[in-house]
Amino acid sequence: MSQLTIAIAKGRLQFDALELLKRIGINLTDATETSRRLSVEDQTGEYRFLFAKPGDVAVYVEHGVADCGIVGRDVLLETNADVLQPLDLTIGRCRMVVAALAAAPGNGHGMLKVATKYPGIATRHFGSRGQPVEIIQLSGSVELAPVLGLADCIVDLVETGRTLRENGLAVVEEIFSSTARLISNRASYQLKAESMMKLLDAVRCAVREGVKADD
Amino acid sequence: MSDPLSGIPSGLRYFFGREAQVRRTIEDTALAVFAGWSYEEITTPTIDYYSLFEQGMGSEASNSFRFMDGDGKLLALRPDVTSGVARAAVTLLNRRERPLRLWYVAPVFRQHAKSQAEFRRELTQIGCELFGVSGGPAELEILLIAGEIFDRLGLRDDFVITLNDVEVFNGVVENLKLDSTQRAAMRELVDSRNATDLERLVSQFASVEESRRFADLTQLSGKGDVLDAARQVIMNERSRAALDRLERVWEIITSLNLTDRFEIDLGDVSTLDYYTALNFKIYLKGAGVRVGSGGRYDHLTAKLGKAEPAIGFVIDLDALTDVMLARDGQEPEAQAEATMLRVTSNDSLTTFQEAIAARWRGERVLISPQEVKR
Repeated sequence: MSQLTIAIAKGRLQFDALELLKRIGINLTDATETSRRLSVEDQTGEYRFLFAKPGDVAVYVEHGVADCGIVGRDVLLETNADVLQPLDLTIGRCRMVVAALAAAPGNGHGMLKVATKYPGIATRHFGSRGQPVEIIQLSGSVELAPVLGLADCIVDLVETGRTLRENGLAVVEEIFSSTARLISNRASYQLKAESMMKLLDAVRCAVREGVKADD
Repeated sequence: MSDPLSGIPSGLRYFFGREAQVRRTIEDTALAVFAGWSYEEITTPTIDYYSLFEQGMGSEASNSFRFMDGDGKLLALRPDVTSGVARAAVTLLNRRERPLRLWYVAPVFRQHAKSQAEFRRELTQIGCELFGVSGGPAELEILLIAGEIFDRLGLRDDFVITLNDVEVFNGVVENLKLDSTQRAAMRELVDSRNATDLERLVSQFASVEESRRFADLTQLSGKGDVLDAARQVIMNERSRAALDRLERVWEIITSLNLTDRFEIDLGDVSTLDYYTALNFKIYLKGAGVRVGSGGRYDHLTAKLGKAEPAIGFVIDLDALTDVMLARDGQEPEAQAEATMLRVTSNDSLTTFQEAIAARWRGERVLISPQEVKR
């Protein structure tokens, strides 16, 4: 069996993803989890792990330097990465929404100003309904834009909605809901089929059990 | 500001040194294999009518460089070679005896990178096409030729060819009575093996149990047993006929003891608008994207004027070169010792007489420039 390299999105998802892998017997030693090394092997040597920014996980997997990855659906939709996404891990649940100041949801003009970290998703969403938009691409604290009058609304990822509320914003509509996906490189899926199927089967079982346990 | 002439447009590049040698080796290997299977070389125009490629490639043709001919007709820089070869087969070579076997090596161009990993805008395709033979024998011939090229490049244990028949998917779509939007959505989900969302989509048309079994099916990649698993779930006649066709090809592959190079992959539906039955992809260890693809495209010949069976494949020379280079290293191959000849200011005639003589003896010569007088 060949070793699989798995890229994991740092941050929001990382803890839950490693917990899930632990449930199927893939353990990283505590030392490696807390160390600053960005590439580590599990205890059996069957898997190698890379830790990368969410958007980069899709890049590594698309190029095949990582065979698999764990990353949110939001990232896949934004980057349009050409990868396989065989499993919904049902962790890291959140929503991609349009939000605006509770007091003034639209400006009534023909052109909507949209501030977002997700220009691709925002463009496609408003484009699909024929709404002309001006996309203002920001890299963080998007909620500020409507407050300061830079944009009419924002397109952003929401987990609890607390940041929105605290800045006087309300959800206008939900574009999609997102969960973490196990993704795979197209070539690795065929060339390392045996290892890949073993991992997929194990994770699929763990996910189905996890869903039952939650009910 | 940088000098605009020093740059090169994105997705384009130079080849030299070891890389150029490797490319030539791969080309030579492939052409020896084609010749060995009695294929004849063809070169098609680099520039052709856009409408030809539109017929040949469907919506993908819009990713070509386009410009206007003097008479107002739209031209394109060739985005694929098959369209041109197929047209030649059914027009100029119409009266030739069948089967007609042609091969080519030629660059193709696209205006935008296909994806982040497939960033090249000029890439060289090595391929062959077989006209006038329907059914299993043609399919086997093509698959064996593709396999032999990789064998002869020393990649025997490192490649796999995945087989599918687009009619399996088309049968399911017809059976579920999907409209074109739903079909496109389903195709995308099957193509990305997205079982979760696929199950959700199919459950609008079928029972929960059936939907789950169908969704699980797209994740299977394996040998002949995949066909058995598919028969448990897919009942419509059109799909079953396709599964039977795959089975017959698989049986021969099994008898030839070649099952280690092949896989059945029913989730390969990315080229649905192009192929009409068998379609396949070639994956190679060390390459993150496929290095080749092919299949049967009987509809295209009809669109171009004469319905006849057609099947072929292409290998991406650039992707293959990357893998070979990563394996063998960047060191250029050693060349034969050269006969050094020096041009002197008063007697270049003798130098070149010697050079000509050495060349006819089959030696390599290296002419050094005139000595600098101090």
